[in-house]
Amino acid sequence: MQAPTIAGSAQPKLARGVRLQTDSKTGNSVLLFPEGVLELNETAQDIVSRCDGRTVGEIIHTLAEEYDIDPQMLDADVRETLGDLQRRKLIELV
Amino acid sequence: MIAPRPYALLAEITYRCPLHCPYCSNPTQTGNDQELTTDEWTRVIREAAALGVLQIGFSGGEPLARRDLPDLVRAAREANLYTNLITSGVGLDDERVRGLRDAGLDSVQLSFQSDKTDLADEIAGARAHQHKLDVAAKVRAAGIPLSLNFVIHRRNIDRLPEMIELAESLQAERVELANVQFYGWAFLNRAALLPTRDQVVRAREIATAAKARLAGKIDIFYVLPDYYEARPKPCLNGWGQRYLTVNPIGEVLPCPTASSAIPDLRFENVRERALDWIWRESESFNRFRGTEWMPEPCQSCPQREIDFGGCRCQAALLTGNAANTDPVCELSPNRAGVDAVLHDVNSSTDRAPDWTYRVNPKTLRSLEHVT
Repeated sequence: MQAPTIAGSAQPKLARGVRLQTDSKTGNSVLLFPEGVLELNETAQDIVSRCDGRTVGEIIHTLAEEYDIDPQMLDADVRETLGDLQRRKLIELV
Repeated sequence: MIAPRPYALLAEITYRCPLHCPYCSNPTQTGNDQELTTDEWTRVIREAAALGVLQIGFSGGEPLARRDLPDLVRAAREANLYTNLITSGVGLDDERVRGLRDAGLDSVQLSFQSDKTDLADEIAGARAHQHKLDVAAKVRAAGIPLSLNFVIHRRNIDRLPEMIELAESLQAERVELANVQFYGWAFLNRAALLPTRDQVVRAREIATAAKARLAGKIDIFYVLPDYYEARPKPCLNGWGQRYLTVNPIGEVLPCPTASSAIPDLRFENVRERALDWIWRESESFNRFRGTEWMPEPCQSCPQREIDFGGCRCQAALLTGNAANTDPVCELSPNRAGVDAVLHDVNSSTDRAPDWTYRVNPKTLRSLEHVT
């Protein structure tokens, strides 16, 4: 597992040419990109659908409120998911 | 067997092409049937989306040879598909780039034959390289993600570093360095195209280093030269599992090269059958689905759900039987045939023989303008 290196002030957004869409067969969210499809699990879906100009810190807080848990508990998960998506060039950090 | 759900449709909308690349995987001979019409393609696209397809690649031939391409892209976007254009770029001017972007085109994969104009044009059998450079810039300017595709073979493999440099200078997001696979015209031209072992070893080192150097900047996909591998490629992630192809005359294929490589299998046509039925029920899609069809050594092989026995087309082309283990596998009883081909290439000091340029199917008619 890679150490989280993403700053809380970074604003993640979908990379160019990447689309977030609902898969009509499963009802789940998928990321579509050149020659690829990534099915998102529920957490990843919650994170990616909030990559709309909010900062990483804001995303963590919003989700913590929705899940009704301590933001500390989510911090590593969110950063790890975003880091993974960034390495796959599916999101960019602004 | 229960059919899985397909993810991607390769729409080969025409076999017509202004280039004559000797490595083309299109069939060397095609019937004189008519190309599917705009309405027929629109129906195929909708049926594919209903079946679960999420991605469509418009290919050919040169898909820009059809003037109705923007209509087909629009139909695909309306069906919520992610749309890729797989093109030589010939025929793409500012107006058509705009038209395709406005229709909702998501991504462009542009082919290059080399980094050098004279060699590229010699391989393509047409003056196209300079135009391709312009096209790359136009695609970038339109804000459409750009992938480059280089098919690598004996005549251009030594220029891999320069090809990667070209991709960098054109600011591509993704580069496919694809060792030629031997189907269609490429199979006919194998003796001219097959690289030597020394070339292959060096190319792999260069590609691996570039992949590491450009990580996070350009995604580099290196397609292996499978004749030189010990185990076969996991062709299509298994027959009839994730992909389907519809060719210009409406035949539905588990693999784009199947209709020419496996002539004894009957492929259904969208003009006669619904796509859903063809995917789930047809003999051609079920023939090599799963693992039950496998002979030994595949049947008891721990790799059987990793490489799926390799490529059915290659088995057919090299052993005469599509149900055999892909003969590039070191466990195949037919591997000696592949080794003999490699021996010929690597022991000869002569220069590679000339190739035969791809020619267009003369009899294939387009009906796209007929209403």
